[in-house]
Amino acid sequence: MADYITALMTLLQPMNFIMMYLCTLVGAVLGAIPGLSGGLGITLILPLTFAMSTELSFSMLVGMYVGGVSGSFIAAVLVGIPGSAASIATCYDGYPMTKKGKAAKALSIGITGSFIGTFISIIVATLCSTYIAEIALKLGPWEYFSLCLMAITMVVGLSNGSVFKGMTAAFLGLWLACVGTDSVTNQMRFTFNNYNLFGGINVVCLLMGTFALQQVATSYAKGNQEMPKVDEGALGGIGLTLKDLTDNIKVIVVSLFIGLWIGFLPGMGSGISNILAYGQAKKMSKHPELFGTGVDEGVWATEVSNNAGVGGAIIPMISLGIPGDATTVLLMSAMTIHGLQPGPMFIRTNPVLADLIFATVLVSAILIFVTELLTKKYFPLLLKAPYHYLYSAILMIAFMGAFSSTTSMFSVYLVLFFGLVGIVMDYFGLPMTPLMLAFILGGKIESYFRMGVSYGKGDYSLFFTRPISLIFILITVYSLFGPMIQKALKKQRT
Amino acid sequence: MKKLNRTYVMGIFMVLFSAWIAFESTRIPEMLVSNEPGPRLFPFISALGIAVFAILSMIFDGKKDEDKEYLDKAGYIRLAIIIAECLLFAFLMNFIGFWITSMAGLFLFIFTLKGKKKFNVIFCIIFCILLGSICYFGFTKGFNIPLPKGTLWSSLGIKMI
Repeated sequence: MADYITALMTLLQPMNFIMMYLCTLVGAVLGAIPGLSGGLGITLILPLTFAMSTELSFSMLVGMYVGGVSGSFIAAVLVGIPGSAASIATCYDGYPMTKKGKAAKALSIGITGSFIGTFISIIVATLCSTYIAEIALKLGPWEYFSLCLMAITMVVGLSNGSVFKGMTAAFLGLWLACVGTDSVTNQMRFTFNNYNLFGGINVVCLLMGTFALQQVATSYAKGNQEMPKVDEGALGGIGLTLKDLTDNIKVIVVSLFIGLWIGFLPGMGSGISNILAYGQAKKMSKHPELFGTGVDEGVWATEVSNNAGVGGAIIPMISLGIPGDATTVLLMSAMTIHGLQPGPMFIRTNPVLADLIFATVLVSAILIFVTELLTKKYFPLLLKAPYHYLYSAILMIAFMGAFSSTTSMFSVYLVLFFGLVGIVMDYFGLPMTPLMLAFILGGKIESYFRMGVSYGKGDYSLFFTRPISLIFILITVYSLFGPMIQKALKKQRT
Repeated sequence: MKKLNRTYVMGIFMVLFSAWIAFESTRIPEMLVSNEPGPRLFPFISALGIAVFAILSMIFDGKKDEDKEYLDKAGYIRLAIIIAECLLFAFLMNFIGFWITSMAGLFLFIFTLKGKKKFNVIFCIIFCILLGSICYFGFTKGFNIPLPKGTLWSSLGIKMI
């Protein structure tokens, strides 16, 4: 406790506090711009921190991280384009809410959900970091493989249409994830000797093509050229009642745990947790058929879970020296640059710095919550921009974001390609979410599977004989065939 | 002759596509590492999954009538126009650089997307110049992220900002 108070006092020193607040704001702005992220902000300020004190550096870097995740819901809610992979599922109900004139409420849920997710997860991380990390050490590639598989099949349940079309899309995503250099044998797969594909397909290009370009092109082609109206009366204050919170408490708690859990599993992150939590919220709902039309639970689930991933991801970083997601990789690089050794001994050797990281997340979460609430009324100004101006700017930013992600024109061509793929998939009724999640998880699924087989000396049965892995596989099977069996039984009864 | 519905077309295309994936997978050099399934396994699984679920989709979803057309004729024309403009944007971005393309491209996009709505040309030009310049200089000077300067200018020996 004494260490925590020392850390908090250090953080509240004017210079540290102001710089942290500025970085949190910049992170939120970067998170809100499709194609950019808090990770980019960390990369940009990392060189600046070389000459700074460790405390100031980590106040800034962690502030940027929290801001980046917190801001990503804004574009998802207002224009239906996720600021980053962490807010993909926010688009599914956040944007329909905006279309229905409930943008203010969707924004309030996003702001409050983000705060709840970050705030509670970091308290859990602060208190239980060491204990939770011990559990993670007991999981092997078999459990991680089954978990990823479960995530994909649960998401297929999200596709409002056919399960078979959802699975077709998921396998397409799995194939896309195979493109590039094989991580085990270094063999090229489907690269056609194009060096731009050696590192695989860039997720930013896939996001920009299938969300931004596809959405602008199809909405124009379908003649949907009216911007949604905003309920301006609800823009002041928090914009939510206590009843809104209590009505959704179950979704909030479950999403919080999903976010924490996914966050603390190495290599996973908010990009996965938001989709998984959305799927779970839909399964738990009394009216799952309304998901995708603009229901509150959908936005609560995604925003609580993706922000809970922040606390979750910090647990393995602090306790084990294992990054929980892509951004914590950057934070760990910063630790190394500052001469620190992330790992099991980190808390013991640097107790104040470890607590400073926890305290920074906590304080940044409070600051960004208050700032977003105070500035919320200005967010919908974006929707007052005429359709042709806003959508033209989105197209330009999509191309710019794609180029800047790799500084290669190839990424721009990929955006065009995936835009066309998105339009064709929309035409055939193939859902995009399973493809997206299978693509994000594809590399992990393959490497965990191959590691599992290799560690088990060719024994495939370990995926079924290890209890936790078996539970995940059973849920996988149930989420695929359960609804079909239930439907058939219901039909038979009637 | 009855027209094939979209699910059947998708199914047939996916089966052919999966066959191509499977064929291409056989060309991946197989390096044997002990107790390791190898780099061909997952592409094969993907191909198999695509084919199986596309066929199941044809069987179970194919009979459902698609009463609604995806787009009318004018819609397809609009779609073709916006795609063509995006292609042009990508080409020009490389050829004359991002700065000029962003301003010209924005104007073109706005002009197309406005449809039959009236718009103020002067305001639009100012908007395009401002937004294009803010994005370009914000990225290149503010964030230090390079954006294309244009192959045309470098071939002519002109140094762009």
